Amino acid sequence: MADVAWIESVLSGAVQAGTVYLLASLGEVYAERSGILNLGLEGMMIIGVAVSFIFTNALGHGAALLVTMLVGGLVALILAFMAVSLRLNQIVVGLALTLFGLGLSGFITSAEIRKGILLSLNPNLSEATLVTQQAPKLPNIAIPVLSEIPLIGEPLFNQNILVYVSYILAIVMWFVLFRTRFGLSLRSVGENPAMADAMGVNVYLMRYIATVIGGMLGALAGAYLFIGYQPFWQEGMTQGRGFISLALVILATWSPLRAILGAYLFGGVEVLQFRLQLLGVGAQTPQFLLMLPYLVTIVTLTLLSFEGVKKRIGVPAALATPYSRE
Amino acid sequence: MRSALPLIRVQRRLEVPRRVSAAVSAVFILLSFAVAALIFELMGVSSIATFGVIASVFTNPNLLLQAILRGLPIGLAALGLSIAFRMNFWNIGAEGQLYMGMFAATGVVLLHEYQGLIAEPLVIVFMVLASFVAGGLYCALSAALKAKMGVNEVLTTLMLNYVAILFVDFLVYGPWRDPKGFNFPLSIQFPDYARLGFVMGSPSYEGLAMLLVVAFLVYGLMRHTTLGFEMRVVGESPEVAKHAGISYAKALIIGGFISGGLAGIAGFSVVSGIIGRLRPRASPGYGYTAIIVAFLALLNPWLIIPASIFFGGLIVAGDLIQASLKLPFAAVQIFQSIIFLFIIAGEFMKRYRIIVSWR
Repeated sequence: MADVAWIESVLSGAVQAGTVYLLASLGEVYAERSGILNLGLEGMMIIGVAVSFIFTNALGHGAALLVTMLVGGLVALILAFMAVSLRLNQIVVGLALTLFGLGLSGFITSAEIRKGILLSLNPNLSEATLVTQQAPKLPNIAIPVLSEIPLIGEPLFNQNILVYVSYILAIVMWFVLFRTRFGLSLRSVGENPAMADAMGVNVYLMRYIATVIGGMLGALAGAYLFIGYQPFWQEGMTQGRGFISLALVILATWSPLRAILGAYLFGGVEVLQFRLQLLGVGAQTPQFLLMLPYLVTIVTLTLLSFEGVKKRIGVPAALATPYSRE
Repeated sequence: MRSALPLIRVQRRLEVPRRVSAAVSAVFILLSFAVAALIFELMGVSSIATFGVIASVFTNPNLLLQAILRGLPIGLAALGLSIAFRMNFWNIGAEGQLYMGMFAATGVVLLHEYQGLIAEPLVIVFMVLASFVAGGLYCALSAALKAKMGVNEVLTTLMLNYVAILFVDFLVYGPWRDPKGFNFPLSIQFPDYARLGFVMGSPSYEGLAMLLVVAFLVYGLMRHTTLGFEMRVVGESPEVAKHAGISYAKALIIGGFISGGLAGIAGFSVVSGIIGRLRPRASPGYGYTAIIVAFLALLNPWLIIPASIFFGGLIVAGDLIQASLKLPFAAVQIFQSIIFLFIIAGEFMKRYRIIVSWR
């Protein structure tokens, strides 16, 4: 039955699966706090997967992570330009970018084109590297002492570097958002842009910065999904994780720290689904188990919409509303 | 003194003349071609060859019929979306509603094949009705959650897409798998009476007729009925609707039902008109393309028809490109999404005029 090792491995799996959601929703918390709803997150995430896949094989993990975040930031810049400067409907722009991301990721990873990109980046690659659908996974680093703690040590402190980065980011981003001048400006821009503008905050700039942070972390979440979690390329492999992260931001009530709990909860649902399959539940028809994350998201959104709950979770008042001085 | 840099001001247009609107759309579609060409060239792909294939689809009569056929599900779903978007109901779930339509249409065929409860000529009628109801209810679920509890419809409709796709997977890998199909995840092949095209001989002709009828119905509904009026008012301002005694919830749920229902019929057109059976992942994203088409057509039912045929042609071109130029289908997805981005950007040019002065 459920012994300690089993619980440890489930918790460890929840953290591993949840880190995708955590990284993506941390960025999205910033974007939404500034008033920008990034429905392109799914697209940025899948671009992150594709770029990290190619660059890891060509140049290694470090370069892959840098390039991934750069590309994510660039795509987010398009979103910022269209949503902030051109004041276009954020839902439509985000959706278009998601479709763009899905197309671009499929395009650059298709056999011939991927081979071309890989060779132009590094002409010395072996034939096997040019055709592989995989990439080397990030190694786990056990943190001395902490990883020895019973039950939670292994799940929390024997993971790869990006998991640790996500912890640090959650804390730092919480601190910056609620304890610094920059954070105050960011929040004011999402709550009442006209007033923020009157107080001398550059509304457009803040929204650009927040959106780009969101895009970089969205792409990083994609990179983690690939080289940190499931390093085997499949087209469209994000499977709505970017969209689920959007829902998680609501569950986290726009707080970087609470995003941790939500992310691991959803990571847990994902792991549970694998575990149940291993136990033989739905062995023939795993589809109903695979539906779980989406159904849980809908139920969560519904529960969060009950009157009493709604009053307590302050949505950024200017979310998804363009600002203009006119 | 003349400054070195021009001063650029942006001014809101009070009214958008039709000519401006059409011109801006045309310019921005051309721009999207240019950007797509640039991306293809950057990836070492000949853009001339790619566009040549796309152009050939619309000049070759046989391929054009194919384009109409592939545009059929897109157009039907886009007509449904035009209703939802007019209500300011962001139904991103046409893809899922389409899958529910495929499920229901196939269910009717199987019911007839194995139980024989329906007269043969009526099967296709029931397929259409069942797919409408299935897609409609699926969308009404999100509409009801929004109307009654204020749940964000963008996320619920999106989530339901994944659920519907998995549900159809379950059916074709499980109970609906063809017992004589060598274990492939496919339903039985539809008999002729369940195929679109058995009246006029070609599914493209029947499909086009269907598209025209539905466009006419949607136009009539939105322009000449009380319900259509109510739905438009709800879209313009829920506050005004309330003062006018219009039930927001009722309009939203019924409108959502019709919107999803049309996407459901789009699903019927896929299994009955294009594939002739149910298989997993039977839609290459028709429901998402429909969103682009609805916007390109400015939510106008009549414009949706040519727009959907254009995007149907892109899908046909995608298949050809895959075969002849060894390019992935994703090339077409990139092209579609770039057109989408530029259509949206064009909206800005319609709403604002840019004044460049040197002083």
